[in-house]
Amino acid sequence: MQKVITVSLNGNAYQLDEDAYALLSQYLEQSGRALQTNPDRPEIIADLEQAIGEKCARYLSPHKTVVTGPELAQVVAEMGPVDGDPGTTTESPSAANGTSAGAQAGSGGAWSSGAATGSGASPGASSGPGGGAAAGGGPSVSRRLYQISDGAVFSGVCKGLSAYFAVDVTLVRAIFVAAFLLTGGAALIAYVVMMFIIPYASTSEERAAAHGMPFNARVLVERAKEKYAQFASSSDWRDSRNQWRNEWRRARAEWRFERRRMRDEWRRHWRFGAGGAPASAAALSPGAKTPAANYATHIITGTVLAILGLIFAIFTIGWVLALLSLLTTGALLGWSLPHGVPFWAALVVLVLLYNAIAWPIKAMRRSIYYSVGPYQGAWVEAWNGIAALAVVFALLWYGYHHQPEVHNLFDHLSQWWNESVSTQLNQLHLGERHAPEGTQTAFKDLPLL
Amino acid sequence: MPIDQKFSPIRKGLLEFLVLKIVGGAMVYVPDILRRLASTEFATQEGTLYPLLSKLRREGLVDYVWQESDSGPPRKYYRLTDSGREHLAQLDEYWVLINKTISELGS
Repeated sequence: MQKVITVSLNGNAYQLDEDAYALLSQYLEQSGRALQTNPDRPEIIADLEQAIGEKCARYLSPHKTVVTGPELAQVVAEMGPVDGDPGTTTESPSAANGTSAGAQAGSGGAWSSGAATGSGASPGASSGPGGGAAAGGGPSVSRRLYQISDGAVFSGVCKGLSAYFAVDVTLVRAIFVAAFLLTGGAALIAYVVMMFIIPYASTSEERAAAHGMPFNARVLVERAKEKYAQFASSSDWRDSRNQWRNEWRRARAEWRFERRRMRDEWRRHWRFGAGGAPASAAALSPGAKTPAANYATHIITGTVLAILGLIFAIFTIGWVLALLSLLTTGALLGWSLPHGVPFWAALVVLVLLYNAIAWPIKAMRRSIYYSVGPYQGAWVEAWNGIAALAVVFALLWYGYHHQPEVHNLFDHLSQWWNESVSTQLNQLHLGERHAPEGTQTAFKDLPLL
Repeated sequence: MPIDQKFSPIRKGLLEFLVLKIVGGAMVYVPDILRRLASTEFATQEGTLYPLLSKLRREGLVDYVWQESDSGPPRKYYRLTDSGREHLAQLDEYWVLINKTISELGS
């Protein structure tokens, strides 16, 4: 039994099994990426979807309503990789030869499993000298900088950097620790900035991109085969077999999880309408909604979120200082209250003011989380909360040590705190003595109600 | 290196010319174009053709009209614009020139 996923291809519904769905969303995403700079991207994608739909229709009849994985693989092979830059004849002859050789060796770009094994530097890349060289050049998959939370010590920045530069993660961490010690903490700021700006590799595909490996169903199988070959040739077979099995299970679970996530997202997408996604994305297949939040979007939203977080933090500090000054001196940061305005009214106005200013900032941040994807919202929010808190503490700490006014304020505050606490405690003691009487009265009053 | 690989950049460059020629013959639908090319050395795929057609349309050489079809949704039928026709005539002329050069060389 196979699960069936219904997709809309340029306005017509088609039913695909899970393998076919994975292949199709992969193909459409790669097409979208190839056409990234093309001004007619939505139209071309719609045309491609239309063509795919027509090719799928060939496999359908009243008694066969679902397109299977192998059928869709055939359709996609017929479509061919999308040419991102049509009619460019200005490239140098050698480059043109290289690309054509690569295309011949593995029928094109990221779809070539030859390129996958080639870039993985495995012994299996024996697809001829021409193909091997073209695959080795491997411009088909761009490597991207991501944070990898899998096996990370703190946030995964080092892990992502190590994947990006293809060096050992321990080396990157050592460099970071050394830089931290040498620069007296400046490297930590760099780390924090990267933590916010570099997106997380949250899908298998992004994880593959972090290592500069192409990802699709065929590559996954290819990689599994490679692992199997390693295991078969290994002398320590029992150990590596387990390892291989675990790896395979993990990959499968990941894949399943990702599909489920996509499906859920799609459902949500339907339930809430376009939900902020651009109209062109809504017209695409469900898989195409996820790539809508692509790498550049992640970077931009990460930066904007960090900036908004900072603004929010500074604003919060200002507000807290105003509040403290009101509580301690009865004046707002040296500006005394107008005559006749009671203390409590100023307090209420201050709280209202805070909410009035904080609300739009919060709303902006929230809307950005949701444009990135609801599944990340909670984490982003948690991180931002922690970061805002950290900034507040850092600024307060700096102020305490370097600004005499702040220092005085704190001292004043602690004095005030001690006094008020001792008064409170005294009252509490008094209250305790009176407490039994109070409760009794309360009980006596109850039946009367 | 096999002969066909040696010429693959040339084939790639000529595809635009050939597509203009096909579109110039009659109003066509993309599968028609693919079918016409499939049996030739210039066989191509949707993945290449759609971006190429969109580029030609942006350059104002072709445009399309929607036509209802008996089976399925309406289809885009491509045709040459006036400037496309002019451009094709120039390309034709140039191609004759190239042909002449090639056949005269070495003889």
